[in-house]
Amino acid sequence: MGSDMRLRIGGFAGFLALLLVAPAFLGEYQVHALIVSLTFLLPALGLNLILGYAGMLSFAQMAFFGIGAYVSALMAMRWGTPFWLNFLAAGVVAGVVALPLGIPALRLRKYSFVMCTLGFAVIAQTLAKNWVSVTRGDLGLSNVPRPMLGLWSGGIEIRGITSYYYLALGLSVIAVLAFLAIVSSPAGRYMIAIREDETLAASVGAPTWRYRMAAFVLSGVFAGCGGSFYVHYYTVISPTIFDPYYGNTLLVIVLGGGVGTLGGVVAGSFIFVALSEVLRVAPDIRMIAYGLLLIVVVFGCPEGLLPLLMRKLRRPTHAT
Amino acid sequence: MQPDLTAALSMRGIEKHFGSIIAVDAVDLDIPTGQICGLTGPNGSGKSTLFDCCTGLQKATGGRVFAAGTEVTGWEMHRIVREARVIRSFQKAVVLRAMSVEDNLVLAGQMVAFPGFAGTFAIGAASRARIRGLRERAGHVLELVGLSHMRHAEAGKISFGQQKLLQFSTMLMADPRVILLDEPMAGVNPVLIERMIENINRANREDGITFVVVEHNLDAMKALCHRLVVLSRGRIIADDTPDVVVRQPEVVEAYLAG
Ligand SMILES: Nc1ncnc2c1ncn2[C@@H]1O[C@H](COP(=O)(O)OP(=O)(O)OP(=O)(O)O)[C@@H](O)[C@H]1O
Ligand SMILES: [Mg+2]
Repeated sequence: MGSDMRLRIGGFAGFLALLLVAPAFLGEYQVHALIVSLTFLLPALGLNLILGYAGMLSFAQMAFFGIGAYVSALMAMRWGTPFWLNFLAAGVVAGVVALPLGIPALRLRKYSFVMCTLGFAVIAQTLAKNWVSVTRGDLGLSNVPRPMLGLWSGGIEIRGITSYYYLALGLSVIAVLAFLAIVSSPAGRYMIAIREDETLAASVGAPTWRYRMAAFVLSGVFAGCGGSFYVHYYTVISPTIFDPYYGNTLLVIVLGGGVGTLGGVVAGSFIFVALSEVLRVAPDIRMIAYGLLLIVVVFGCPEGLLPLLMRKLRRPTHAT
Repeated sequence: MQPDLTAALSMRGIEKHFGSIIAVDAVDLDIPTGQICGLTGPNGSGKSTLFDCCTGLQKATGGRVFAAGTEVTGWEMHRIVREARVIRSFQKAVVLRAMSVEDNLVLAGQMVAFPGFAGTFAIGAASRARIRGLRERAGHVLELVGLSHMRHAEAGKISFGQQKLLQFSTMLMADPRVILLDEPMAGVNPVLIERMIENINRANREDGITFVVVEHNLDAMKALCHRLVVLSRGRIIADDTPDVVVRQPEVVEAYLAG
């Protein structure tokens, strides 16, 4: 157990060190790919919480992501509010939207919950398309201000790709630490118990419904914050953000990386986003190759990449 | 009939129907505080379902349940555990297999150490100190039941009998007033059965915990219980000391028929 912990901390520290020096060795395009990976990391952490810890499959993640993006963009465009405020507001609004959605949805059984979140994603997209006075419909919002790092007005504007990268990295580190804090709290232990055996969890006094709700709301907060960074990086947002493609990418990251693990989801964000970028060299077969690779991953390691890797590291003498 | 408000657990007219099947049929039962009450009966006689109805796992079709004078009818299971301190085990050995033995105990103790919902999200020094306290307590409980050497083992990997002992230990972490055990000795080797009986007796004597024990093993029941209730087709057909009950003709008949 002790060695496991050391392995984990060492792994994270090493990986973080790599990421810190990476821009010095990489071209602009590769740094961009890393930023995209980090952008997906936040909603992926949220999905990991609701799916990996509370055991409920939600398709609402990208809808929360989109809501966060729109909220953040509109605040910056209309009121010129600083980035930190937009970022927090995006998370809070997404979490607040999750609450009334969760009240009926979480009372349902697992499959009905999935349908409910799917329905929500469709409604969110329709709203973004048709509430033209606010969202400008299919045109979307463009010229979203770049992030301003200042207390209120003014401050440093994030411009260059490297500054964006370090901002993304800083936010991701905070998000990972927040995630770690949640899952290692007593509430996190209850969530794991609920995932493993809901009846047993209730039998030791866990109000299961409340913890599932907490996981759902927090998953929305993570996604909303991710959306905020996304929109200030791309500086445009349109209803296509609600397309299933993005939601699927999240599922791939979490399931492929290792659902219910932190390292797996971090690794998954980089591996699968990078993979999709690398495959751009062959645009014709890109999606087919991507799909095939996913199938290989599923057969090769059904629990995800990281759990497989950890097992290998633990027992290096046993070749599987 | 009025419920007995002084009893640790008092059931009045509990009924449970599954379509046309009547699993529990108008059961009235009072368990006085401090008693170890056995509950037995043929397979399918409604013992587990009666537990389910008392602990909020299933909603009874009819009837009322009182715990130490408080009506708990219709409460959800986690609330009955937290507020009425009535806790139950399950017929299949259920432990959280992926967690360590100790973590299973810590989990069960959390409801005592963290009574509020918001407090469970804290990770500060105070929260960690409480968890440390739970680990210490867990060590003590494991020592008592004789599972100390398994403390850090994965709960899914210990033997079936040990899992049943583990399940019993987790319940002690929750400071219960009443423990309902559903077949704690089924499939367990004689040595561990012996140990289970000792543990139940000690918890009853030292902590004043009231027990209702569902069990088919009549020898164990005779050794353990102050009183034995027999259920057949959802109805109570006998209720007396174990020695008397096992000789009653309707009990013998029910067993032969069942
Ligand atoms: N969910 C259910 N749906 C339909 N019938 C059920 C259900 N649960 C229990 N029953 C029926 O209710 C009756 C009582 O079952 P129960 O499990 O309470 O018996 P038991 O006394 O615990 O038996 P055993 O000794 O085998 O554990 C049985 O006839 C059973 O088939
Ligand atoms: Mg039963």
